[in-house]
Amino acid sequence: MKRPHGIPKWPYLFFKFYCKRERFEEMHGDLEEYFYERVETKGMVKARWYYLRDVLRCCQPYAWKTPSFYKNSNLIMFKNYFKTASRSALRNPLSSFINIFGLSMAIGVCVMTYSFMNQSLNTDKFHENKDKVFLTTIFADRDGETAQYGVTPVPLAEHLKTDFANIEKVCRIDDHNTVIRLNNQVFYEDIRLVDGEFLEMFTFPLKWGDKASLYDPNSIILSEEVSNKYFKTENPIGKEVLVIFKSGEKKHFEIAGVAEDFPNMANIKFDFLINYSNIEVAMADHKPADWAKFLDATLIQLNDPTSIATVSTGMDKYLKLQNEVNKDWAIQGFEFISIDELYLNSSDIQQAISYDDRRPGRVTLPFIAAFMIILACLNYVNMAINSIAKRLKEIGVRKVMGADKRRVMIQFLAENVFITFCAMIFGLFLGMTVFMPWFEGISGEQYSIELSDHLFYLFMLGLLLLTGIASGIYPAFYISRFEAVKIFKGKIKLGRKGWLTQTFLGFQLVLACITITAAVIFVQNTNYQINRSWGYNQNHLMYIHTPSKEMYDKMKVEMEKSSYLENVSGTADHIGRKSSSVVAETLDRKYEVSELKVEPIYFKTMGVEIASGREWSQDVKYGNREVVVNQTFVNQLELEEPLGFEIKIRDNDYVIVGVINDLHNQPFGNEIQPMVFSQVNDGDQTFLIANITSGYDFKAYDEIESTWDELYPEIPLVGGLQADIWDGYFNMIGNFARFNKAVATIAVALALLGLYGLMTLNISGRIKELSIRKTLGANMMHLSKIMSKQYLALTIVSICVGAPLGYFFTKFQLDMVFAYPLDMGAYRVVIPVIILVVALILVVFSQVFRVNRFNPIKGLRTE
Amino acid sequence: MGRAQIGEFEELVLLTVGVLYDDAYAVAIAKELEDQSGRSVAVSAVHKSLYRLEEKGMLESRLGDPESKRGGKRKRLFNITPYGKKALDDSLDLRSRLRGQIPELAFKFNS
Repeated sequence: MKRPHGIPKWPYLFFKFYCKRERFEEMHGDLEEYFYERVETKGMVKARWYYLRDVLRCCQPYAWKTPSFYKNSNLIMFKNYFKTASRSALRNPLSSFINIFGLSMAIGVCVMTYSFMNQSLNTDKFHENKDKVFLTTIFADRDGETAQYGVTPVPLAEHLKTDFANIEKVCRIDDHNTVIRLNNQVFYEDIRLVDGEFLEMFTFPLKWGDKASLYDPNSIILSEEVSNKYFKTENPIGKEVLVIFKSGEKKHFEIAGVAEDFPNMANIKFDFLINYSNIEVAMADHKPADWAKFLDATLIQLNDPTSIATVSTGMDKYLKLQNEVNKDWAIQGFEFISIDELYLNSSDIQQAISYDDRRPGRVTLPFIAAFMIILACLNYVNMAINSIAKRLKEIGVRKVMGADKRRVMIQFLAENVFITFCAMIFGLFLGMTVFMPWFEGISGEQYSIELSDHLFYLFMLGLLLLTGIASGIYPAFYISRFEAVKIFKGKIKLGRKGWLTQTFLGFQLVLACITITAAVIFVQNTNYQINRSWGYNQNHLMYIHTPSKEMYDKMKVEMEKSSYLENVSGTADHIGRKSSSVVAETLDRKYEVSELKVEPIYFKTMGVEIASGREWSQDVKYGNREVVVNQTFVNQLELEEPLGFEIKIRDNDYVIVGVINDLHNQPFGNEIQPMVFSQVNDGDQTFLIANITSGYDFKAYDEIESTWDELYPEIPLVGGLQADIWDGYFNMIGNFARFNKAVATIAVALALLGLYGLMTLNISGRIKELSIRKTLGANMMHLSKIMSKQYLALTIVSICVGAPLGYFFTKFQLDMVFAYPLDMGAYRVVIPVIILVVALILVVFSQVFRVNRFNPIKGLRTE
Repeated sequence: MGRAQIGEFEELVLLTVGVLYDDAYAVAIAKELEDQSGRSVAVSAVHKSLYRLEEKGMLESRLGDPESKRGGKRKRLFNITPYGKKALDDSLDLRSRLRGQIPELAFKFNS
């Protein structure tokens, strides 16, 4: 059909495109008739416009072609599958709800796990030079074990720069806690002293300002978070910041840059950056050439990452330099770790600039996600097989109409993928709105799913196909096997030899047993941890931090005046807040210990009892060389008679005069370190600790806080109630228990539903038998015996397998997270097993009651 | 099924098909309607009604001969079916019945 003369091309083609072929001739004839008439009366140009208008007006459904895919018989069948799937889903709202909800819970957990894994595996990998920048780490020997540390001797950086031609850039990092005055506000802030190369090595784009300003010793660069905190949305460039260093020195800096918000995947970050040369101001005793001193990190950047080997082999000469000066802590070797690999290795490196606390999560979360998926799939399989009874006729009809085995299988698989898809959308929603925020609450970190993340779509697609097919393949096989004739004759017996469904149920029960064991033990453990003795009396105790001697003196007077406070004690360190690690030397070995410098009254204030020996003598005011140690110290040094034993700290001799029982200086997740309490020198005290009269906790602290605010309006008070110092920790372990509880609830619920479904199926298959038994006088006892017999063995086997597995799984988890877990006797599995058994019995009895009330006539009647 | 449902415009088209007996095709119907009612009628609207009425069974159609004024294309000619006639009669009947039931008083306008 050629385009007639004069008719505009594009409207014509458009008309041809949409118009049904069988109506094209008559309709276009009409349009042409109008067109030629208008050419006569109105002229060519107007006629063409009218033609276009007519074409557009005719573009209505009655004229449209039927799209070719409507004619594809496969698609028509799929439409039909979809219809039957949604109808049968709506007919059994309970079971489809269980299916979809179970699957979406599992998928929600998977989404959460994905974002967690994605984030933690990609941490710090957004830096462009991640392969070229290396952190220098050292191996050193403290308390008998060689460990890897992220700190490096101070002069190393200068040497590296001059000694190796292939090192392109070197950057030192040292963190300092300072008081910052900004906009007339005063805060404690961490400042990172870095070389100007820092912003060239790491990819931290600036929102405002110039990267080169980091080379200027008078400039300071802020993170966006800090900038927002102090300046809201305003551009702070050019503003002045006063920094008061620990050394007491003050220095003004000009804000020269603000970094863009750090990605969630950043672990190495900063709040404030200033040039490293300020180290002279920050530390009064800074000696740039002293090999005995350490700084927080030394980074090097190479042009060619493979040439790191030549650097590594050339490091030996520095060992001698260092070992001569610092015999206490001799370095045994160096290793360079690229930024690319740093984060995932950082839990093996002590005192590194990168910190990884996600290792337990990386181990457990994928496990849990897989668990949930397996459970949900098994549930789906059982429910699907159960619901077949109601769809046997449909399958028979399909077979008679010519559907072969393959087609029926495809139907059920497609149905399943469709259900999984619904579950996936719901699960994605659940994951992003419930699980992820909740997990963020637990971990205190931000997680996100990037819409531009192709891997995520791939993951979801994979998950869809995997769960859809894994859960659907068996029901599809099972269903497609039936012969149409047998179906119509009513010869298909369901629920007879369901060994596979039994296996699935058994597997579900095992998983349920594992998770419920974990949940119960975790809850018990949390209570145990909360009630665990801290080793001292943490109640009715307050502390404040006084950075200078003048503050200390003034506040001590104020606190002693207070009518609510007693036993005011001044210290340089404080349990749970500050202690310094020192090296204690015996004749033959060195140990790393925590040292706390306190006054003798401190033990009384803290409610710590001296187990053996005595406090140090009160009358020797200065230069006291007596120390009190904790039990761990005694155990680690394997001292048989600790009292009178001599140790060397900082080249001074000390004698042990007392031993106290162990107490927790750190959250209970950490092991108790060997501790040494020594006498604080007068003038070195920076903490004030006091007992509060019972019942006046908040009042007393508020009083002290307002006194402080009057005296030092420029400096924020650091202090609080001792009982609050590990709130965050208890919160975290509480969340851990809640997490396990949630997982167990879902797992147990799914297993119970599975059992419920199987029993219903079994009963409907045996309804005649049961009816006859009832008419012949079977009572409830008898009925429950024959109905539960086949599940008894299964349950026993599942629990015998599940309970030990649950025990070891939980023990593994606990040992990884807690240094002092609940004692794990085998009797711990009794409570979870009882809970599970009671729940199972309830399900069985609900069915027995149903059969008991059932009228046997209904089961025996034939029509 | 109850009474055949038919819209106002459809009814007009149906009537016009009857009027133009033996030469009732879309363009002619549109023109006739324009002439008689004085309102402009789009050919697409007529198409739509014709096909719909045919679907309902009130019209039947055949293809005519090719004509040069139509660029050598055939036109589709429509005829009323008995069912179509019944629909028209029913509709007319209903209208006249209702009209007859209006009391004289309703037309007593006090103006």
